[in-house]
Amino acid sequence: MAEPAYTVASDSETTGEEKLSATFSETAIGIDIGTSQCSVAVWNGSQVELLKNTRNQKMMRSYVTFKDENPSGGVSSQLANEQDVLSGAAIFNMKRLIGRVDTDPVVHSSKSLPFLVQTLGIGVRPLIAALVNNVWRSTTPEEVVAIFLVELKAMAEIRLKRPIKNVVLTIPASFSRFQLTRIERACAMAGLHVLRLMPEPTAVALLYAQQNASQNTNTGSEKIALIFNMGAGYCDVAVTATAGGVSQIKALAGSAIGGEDLLQNMMRHLLPDSESLLTSCGLDDIKSVGLLRVATQEAIHSLSSQTNVQVDVDLGNGTKICKVVDRGEFEEVNQDVFDKCASLIIQCLHDAKVDTEDVSDVIVVGGCSYIPKIKSLVMSTCKKQELYKGMNPLEAAVSGAALEGAVASGLSDPFGSLDLLTIQATPLAIGIRADGNNFVPIIPRSTTMPAQKDLIFTTAHDNQAEALIIVYEGEGKKVEENHLLGYFKITGIPLAPKGVPEIRVILDIDASSVLRVLAGVLMPGSHQPVNPVMGVRMPTVDDGHGWCAEALNRVYGSTLDLVTVQRKI
Amino acid sequence: MSNKHLLTSLSSVLRRTLTPTSHFSFNSTRWFQSGTFFSPNVKTHHRLFPCSGLDFLEIHKIPGKCFTSSQSAEKASAKCWNCSAAAEAVPFLFCSSCRCIQPVDQSVDYFQIFGLERKYDSVVDNLEGKYKDWQKKLHPDLVHTKSKEEREYAAEQSARVIDAYLTLSKPLARAIYILKLEGVDVDEEETLSESELLTEILEIREAVEEAADSQALVQIQSQMQEKLKHWSNSFANAFRSRNFDEALKAIRRMTYYERVKETIVKKL
Ligand SMILES: [Zn+2]
Repeated sequence: MAEPAYTVASDSETTGEEKLSATFSETAIGIDIGTSQCSVAVWNGSQVELLKNTRNQKMMRSYVTFKDENPSGGVSSQLANEQDVLSGAAIFNMKRLIGRVDTDPVVHSSKSLPFLVQTLGIGVRPLIAALVNNVWRSTTPEEVVAIFLVELKAMAEIRLKRPIKNVVLTIPASFSRFQLTRIERACAMAGLHVLRLMPEPTAVALLYAQQNASQNTNTGSEKIALIFNMGAGYCDVAVTATAGGVSQIKALAGSAIGGEDLLQNMMRHLLPDSESLLTSCGLDDIKSVGLLRVATQEAIHSLSSQTNVQVDVDLGNGTKICKVVDRGEFEEVNQDVFDKCASLIIQCLHDAKVDTEDVSDVIVVGGCSYIPKIKSLVMSTCKKQELYKGMNPLEAAVSGAALEGAVASGLSDPFGSLDLLTIQATPLAIGIRADGNNFVPIIPRSTTMPAQKDLIFTTAHDNQAEALIIVYEGEGKKVEENHLLGYFKITGIPLAPKGVPEIRVILDIDASSVLRVLAGVLMPGSHQPVNPVMGVRMPTVDDGHGWCAEALNRVYGSTLDLVTVQRKI
Repeated sequence: MSNKHLLTSLSSVLRRTLTPTSHFSFNSTRWFQSGTFFSPNVKTHHRLFPCSGLDFLEIHKIPGKCFTSSQSAEKASAKCWNCSAAAEAVPFLFCSSCRCIQPVDQSVDYFQIFGLERKYDSVVDNLEGKYKDWQKKLHPDLVHTKSKEEREYAAEQSARVIDAYLTLSKPLARAIYILKLEGVDVDEEETLSESELLTEILEIREAVEEAADSQALVQIQSQMQEKLKHWSNSFANAFRSRNFDEALKAIRRMTYYERVKETIVKKL
């Protein structure tokens, strides 16, 4: 059915009902763009199938090499050896950088990557560049992601012998709505239409729901599973309650910690005082760091199956590392990362209001699931003796995305294998700035979607005629710890002592996951808003949004502040 | 943002939340002028937040629109909007002949959605299972490929089933809801006049503020749980004997104990 054609460019990038007008004649494919590897899967009519590239790989490295004018990605190109990826010409780990500003600690920790990540520390996007013929050629995370999405699309089109348009993409649970718009931008650049963005553990939950539905036809019995998914860039946890093919996400938790952090901590352990080398942009230094990176990665892999490993590497700058490292050292230097993993699990169980004894299955997937310490910490935090065995840890998320792609494309299966549904929950709280510099959540995290919630605020000053509604998403208590989604001003508040006007702010997430913020003013004794209500679709911010909050603060200070209306207990 | 876009966006929000029976004649401009948005039946989660005087369930009090005995006759004539098959089941949210989602019928109350008798202590056995069964038929994700009408019905029905589930699964929300179905309003923000309750609340508040450690808080938490259970039972009795004053008294207490619990959760 034809929908109104919107012509506003900034809106066409974002999710929305207009997206639904796309054609659904083809089964959507599932794509998992990992920080280090990506994969594609599709429902082939009877089961999920992972697609292989011309080199017969199901898992492809997520990088793009810039040589001369033609960038090429890890899906199609064959590199002579690992060092080629680390020569300065290859850009990777973009999932860690997409939609982040240069004040973000995650961006700073990416400065040791063997290409250019330049930060000015002012809240704008970092400059990212690859070394091409001894010149730093700038690019963006969106462009890099789009390049390998184009390659994945081409590969899938060859394998499936049909054009590919619709995709279900997995994303980290901790991605803000702003980051999601960047991923959608990358998809649009690659000519792909996003049917759904699925937090990775919820894709795994859908696969689990399917496995359970086929084993157990009794709709009544509900099983609770905890899913722990840790890759190179992100760690996500979900608690799902599954019955009869329906997976209801009870809670989600996530953080930008992953194998990359384990690797960097280990590199610093192997080469103390290496900070200046790691962040250097000199050609030789990049090569040295690249060598160190490869050697460390290999050592970590070995430590998954053996208790110690000999590291022997010549960094080519006069430094040689020759050292035996044992598993205990690896676990010790990464204690903080492991502690954070455990705290995410505890938080997720708490949010889901689930005790460990209620959990039937504990599922550990993702590239880090091979690390013994990860397995043991998840088991001990969940008080379980064993982990769920029915899934390939590297293929679970993309398989779940392919299932969702089939369901969302309206496919059904004679054996009921697609009789599935995920009831999603919000991964992050959404709220506004109020009570000074505090973030006041209106829709808490892990709220079932679609959702609509409101909260009443009031003026902070006597005779305050205007108020700023500044919308954030995240978990921090202070606004600056959260992602800014957008802002607008309420005007025409009748002059009254502070605390009298009621500013009602309503957040609505609709069935297409579109967020709208509505705000209006009520005076005591009236149910009619004083002025037309403001309704703004979020996010409205574009790049450089770190600036916006500061600029607002500089111009308005606290003059347009809001405070929450205190409830009497 | 173009004006047209804004209006279309807003009207689609409202179509879901407003509870109109005639979605397609809904005019967003009217909404802007009249401020319908702030009128009672917009808010589905209003009970969670203070907003004095707004009665979000007013729709249920409209005569003739409610669960009267004439309703069954009305129901029998209900037809699927898509294939015209007669409604074979109450509630008729979904047509089993053509698998089409039906528009929201406000006269179907939350108890009817789950096939429960309208009693406070209706057995809420496996409510979650029934909720999921509905979502499996009504969820908007499942009708992506269908017409715009049906996608809107799905969004509305599915959101309403979520509300029904959340309302019935919580004792306090269930109590407030069932009283409203009887035409009795609960003003959650009214000033306390019972001095005995006021004293008790002040004492509890003090105890929470002065709690030395999390163990002390947990202890208060379980006391609140006990009290909630007690007052939930007395609500059930009062409601059964249609003693609404007594029922309101129980709700007032449950409201305060729930707030104490929330406060403790925040502190823990
Ligand atoms: Zn029908």
